[in-house]
Amino acid sequence: MGAFYCAICRQTSFSGKAHIFGKSHQSKLKVVLVKFLEKVKEARRTIKNPQVERFDCTQHKRKCWCYCCGLEVERDVTDGDITVLFGGLLEHMARPDHRKCTHTFWWENKADPKLRDKFIITENEMERFKTEVAKALGSFEDKEDGLIKQQATHIRAQEQHRQEVLQSLIEPKAELELSNTEGPCNSVDEASSSSHFRAPGSDEQARSGRVDQMVARQWAGPGQGLTFIGYQDSSNSGNVHTGAIPPWLQEDPNEGRSGTMEQAIGPSLQDFLKQKEQEKLKKLPPNRVGANFDHSSQTDANWLPSFGRVWNSGRRWQSRHQFREEEGQTNRQKRKRDQGAEGTKKPNRLNSDYSMHCT
Amino acid sequence: MSLFLAKLSCKRDIDEVIKTVAEKVLVLRFGRDEDSVCLQLDEILSKTSHDLSNMASIYIVDVDSAPVYTRYFDISYIPSTVFFFNGQHMKVDYGSPDHTKFVGSFKTKQDFLDLIEVIYRGAMRGKMIVKSPIDPQNIPKYDLLYHGI
Repeated sequence: MGAFYCAICRQTSFSGKAHIFGKSHQSKLKVVLVKFLEKVKEARRTIKNPQVERFDCTQHKRKCWCYCCGLEVERDVTDGDITVLFGGLLEHMARPDHRKCTHTFWWENKADPKLRDKFIITENEMERFKTEVAKALGSFEDKEDGLIKQQATHIRAQEQHRQEVLQSLIEPKAELELSNTEGPCNSVDEASSSSHFRAPGSDEQARSGRVDQMVARQWAGPGQGLTFIGYQDSSNSGNVHTGAIPPWLQEDPNEGRSGTMEQAIGPSLQDFLKQKEQEKLKKLPPNRVGANFDHSSQTDANWLPSFGRVWNSGRRWQSRHQFREEEGQTNRQKRKRDQGAEGTKKPNRLNSDYSMHCT
Repeated sequence: MSLFLAKLSCKRDIDEVIKTVAEKVLVLRFGRDEDSVCLQLDEILSKTSHDLSNMASIYIVDVDSAPVYTRYFDISYIPSTVFFFNGQHMKVDYGSPDHTKFVGSFKTKQDFLDLIEVIYRGAMRGKMIVKSPIDPQNIPKYDLLYHGI
């Protein structure tokens, strides 16, 4: 026997196809057929009177399950703009393979054969449906055109009303302005205010647009009413547009009289170079040797202990003594006397030692 | 309004200010203190001068006191505002025919603040002409008179 899945009972039966004759299967079959028949009846009704509507994406894409074929079928037929309700279902049921499937279904499930023909749509019926659909489409399009024309006349009426309001405003204002300022500014203003008007939608918004325009005019008042202080004749000296020398770079004849102000601005060249050196020094490491060298301390001539006498033999102090003698200063002479006394005490003993080290 | 802004009364003062204001935008308003539009502009200038103190210095100049400058900048409508940076005259494209000065008053304080910021940034980057951030609708319209053409 094997396992057999019955789609109607949604059960697997192991006793073969005997369950088909049982009560539960038949009752379920009836329910299924009743449901399906409802849909088919509605579809048949539209054969004589097809319903054509504007495409509504929420409702017109419904799918329908055909029990005979075991397929999902689109209920409606649409081309994006217009929909024919139940068109899809009818087309499906007119197909020859649907007919075959229906017969198979009836044989398999042992359903009531009288109902079978209702689920099939013959070709004649299909032809009839198609002609009716063509007629319905024509009348639908006529209706749509009518609606569009109505909306167009409505929009035109609104636009006309707005223009009238605009004209009534501009006429009194234009009279006022011509007396105040120059003419050319008006054309600019009209252009800007008419573009201002074209955006909003209804009468109320036209009124608020008028208010906005008046507010704009109040601020734009300075723009039109700037004080004119006369044509600046710069044909002798030239102006910024002709590229003349600017006044702040020209030499002033008055400057010589008030001489307190310095002619040169900025630091002198020396100061500037010093500043540059200092900048460089800042970049060196702060703990290098001689970083805290005091450049401003005064040194005298004898800070270096250079009193020559390289080839001398004898004590260092002796050479120093001789150097200082030669320098001949009074302070050194005093020191010389003190050191001379020290130095001459032990000459002999140390001489020999010294000579040994030297050579 | 103009009581709180520094005034320059002679050509020498203007020269000095132009040469000495460093690393800040220099704003010179040419106009008359009594004129209504000048008063509006002066109010905006004085209210923003504190906030802009690090970026800009603002001065008031009477057009009658320095005719050299009035002729040089070809100031026919008042108020006219001229911008400098480090002694260099800054040009700004407002969408109006004259880029060398701003003619008229600003609509809001924010417009002026934005303009000063754009000039400052442009100048810091080395640009001598910048494009104004102000909406062209808010720029006052005037006719540029061409003489002799």
